Amino acid sequence: MKTQKIGAWIAVLFGASYFIIPLIATFEFSLRMRRGEYSFDAYRSVFSDVQFRESFSYSIVMAILTIVFGILLVVPTAYWVRLRLPQMRPFVEFITLMPLVIPAIVIVFGYLRLYNSSSFIPFTGSARGTDLLLMFSFMTLSLPYMYRSVDTAMRTIDVATLTEAAQSLGASWPTIMFKCIFPNVMSGVLSGAFITFAIVIGEFTMPSLLNRPAFGPYLQLIGANRAYEPPALAIIAFAITWASMALLQLVSRFSKSAPSKP
Amino acid sequence: MSFLELAGIQKSFGPVQVVHDFDMTIEKGEFVSFLGPSGCGKTTVLRMIAGFETPSGGTIKINGKNQESLKPNQRNIGMVFQAYALFPNMTVHDNVAFGLKIAGMNKAAVDARVKEMLGLIHLGHLADRFPYQMSGGQQQRVALARALAPKPQVLLLDEPLSALDAKIRVSLREEIRMIQQQLGITTVFVTHDQEEALSISDRIVVMNSGRADQIGTPFDIYNKPATRFVASFVGTLNLIEATVVDPASNRISIGDQAITLREPLGPVKAGDTVSLALRPEAGSIAESAKGDTALTGQVVSSNFLGSVIRTRMKVGDPVISFDMFNAPGLSPPAVGDVVTLRFTASDLLIIRE
Ligand SMILES: Nc1ncnc2c1ncn2[C@@H]1O[C@H](COP(=O)(O)OP(=O)(O)OP(=O)(O)O)[C@@H](O)[C@H]1O
Ligand SMILES: [Mg+2]
Repeated sequence: MKTQKIGAWIAVLFGASYFIIPLIATFEFSLRMRRGEYSFDAYRSVFSDVQFRESFSYSIVMAILTIVFGILLVVPTAYWVRLRLPQMRPFVEFITLMPLVIPAIVIVFGYLRLYNSSSFIPFTGSARGTDLLLMFSFMTLSLPYMYRSVDTAMRTIDVATLTEAAQSLGASWPTIMFKCIFPNVMSGVLSGAFITFAIVIGEFTMPSLLNRPAFGPYLQLIGANRAYEPPALAIIAFAITWASMALLQLVSRFSKSAPSKP
Repeated sequence: MSFLELAGIQKSFGPVQVVHDFDMTIEKGEFVSFLGPSGCGKTTVLRMIAGFETPSGGTIKINGKNQESLKPNQRNIGMVFQAYALFPNMTVHDNVAFGLKIAGMNKAAVDARVKEMLGLIHLGHLADRFPYQMSGGQQQRVALARALAPKPQVLLLDEPLSALDAKIRVSLREEIRMIQQQLGITTVFVTHDQEEALSISDRIVVMNSGRADQIGTPFDIYNKPATRFVASFVGTLNLIEATVVDPASNRISIGDQAITLREPLGPVKAGDTVSLALRPEAGSIAESAKGDTALTGQVVSSNFLGSVIRTRMKVGDPVISFDMFNAPGLSPPAVGDVVTLRFTASDLLIIRE
C-alpha cells in the first residue's frame, strides 16, 4: 500500500518535471538580464514597453468583447436547443466542435477570401471592421469550450419545467432568460469565459494574419528579436493562464456549494 | 355559467391521438380531479388548459373568454408541477415574489403578499432559505404559494404529491384542499392515486385512454361506476360474470345459484352473459348479516389486512372477495370452510361498458 503510494508520487513528480524544469529554467534565464546577478530587469523592460501595454490591453478588450458576445450567442442557443430542439443537440455539438478540427489558419484564409475589401461584406476594409471580424473569429475558436461548459451547467437544471413555471407566472422570454436560466448556468458561463480569456490572450494566427496589434503577435515579435524579454513574457503569459485556471477552479468549487437542483 | 369550459378537446401528437372529444365544465371555486392510469392524457389536457400545448380541436374558455389566442404567460393560470420547479437561484421569498414582480406590483405590496402566502403554507420562518435547503414537502408548499400569489383564475396541479412520501402526501393533500376552499379558487388536480382523488375532490373525471369515462362526485364514481374501466380502476371490486336465466324477472345465476337483480337487465336473452360488480365491503358472512340475497361458496383464502379481513370464496367458477371488519374475538373463516355471504341485491351493479 505504502510503496504503491510512493511509486505513484514518483511517477507524478517525474511527469511534472518535464513541465516544471523548463519553466524553472525559463524563469531563471529571464532573471539574468543584468550581468552577474539576478534581477527583474527583463520584466521591467517588458512592462515599460509601450507596445506591450498596447497589445496587451488590446487583447484584454478583445477578450472581454468575445466573452460578452460569446455568452449572448451560446447561452440562448444552448437553452433553445435543450428546450425545443433536443433532437438537434448532437448536430449543434458537432458544429461547435468544428473549430477544434479545422486549423485556425484555414479559417482565417477563408475569412480573408469571404470578407476582403472587394467582397459583399468588406469586414477587412477598415480597422474597426477587422476588429469585429477578429472578435467573431475568437468567438469561433472559443465556441467548443463555451458551448460545452454552458450545456453541462444546463444539464443540472430542469430547463423545460422551469421555463413553464416561469411562463405560467407571466414571464416573457427575456425575463425567463435573464432571471431564471442565466443565474442557474452562471458557473458554466464563468468557466467558459475564463477559457475564452486564455485563448484570446494567447492566440497568434488570427490576429497576425488579420494584421491586428494583439498580444500573440507581439509575443512572437519579441521572441524573434530579443534575448531576455521573451522568457519574461512567457512567464507572464503563464501567470495569466494560471490565474485564469485558478479562478476557474475557484468558480467550479464555489458553484458546487451554490444552489442547484435538489 | 360555468367558469372553465372544455368543449370537444382533441389532441394528436403526429398520427397518435391522445385526447378524444374531452368535454367538461367546471364551476367557479370547484375542485376537480383528473384520475386515470399512466399515459391516459391527464397531463396533456392540463397542459392545454395552461397553454403549453395547443389543442388539435375544440375550445377552452375561462370565465367566458376563449383562451385560444392567449400565450401561457397571458392566461393568469397557476401551475404546480410534480418536480416542484422552484427557481434554484432564488430564495423562498423571491420565488413567491416572482409572479408578483412581473405583474408590476410595488415592493411593499409584493412583500405583504409574499408574507401572506407564506403564512398560508406555514413557512413564514423559511423565507430566506434556498430551495435546496428544504425538504420536498416544504418545496412543494412553496411552489403552491408561488402559483397562488398572483391570484390566478385557475390553479392546475400535475401530480403534485407523487414525489413525496406517504405521510406527507396525506397531510399535504389536506392542506391543499383547505387552502383551495379558503381561497375559493377553481382547481384542477391531476393524479393517478384514486384515494387522493376520492378524498379531496368535489368532482372527479375518470380518464381512460384520452377519454373522460365518467365525471361525477367521488360518491357517485365509487358507488355508481358507469363503465367497467371506472369500476375496476376506482377501489377494489369484484367483477362477476353471470348468466341470464330469465330477462323478464331479472333473474340471473352466478355459479348455478340464482339471484334476482333490482336493476332491469335490458335487452338480453336467457343464456347471455352479463358482468356484475360488487364491492368487497357490500356483504358480510356474520350471523347477524342483513340482506335480501345470499351466495354460498367455499373459502379459498383469507387475508388479515389490519382493520379488515379480506376473504375470497369460490361460487362455482367466479371468485368473490368480501371484507369483514376486524373485531377482537372474531375468528376469520378458514380455507375450505363453506360460508354464506349476505348482501342487498341493489349493491350488485350491472356493468354495461
Ligand atoms: N410531446 C409529446 N409527443 C408525443 N407524444 C406525447 C407527448 N406528450 C405526451 N405524449 C403521449 O400522450 C399520451 C398521454 O400523455 P400524458 O402525459 O398526458 O399522460 P398522463 O395521463 O399524464 O400520464 P402520467 O400519469 O404517466 O403522467 C402518452 O401516450 C404519451 O406518450
Ligand atoms: Mg402526467
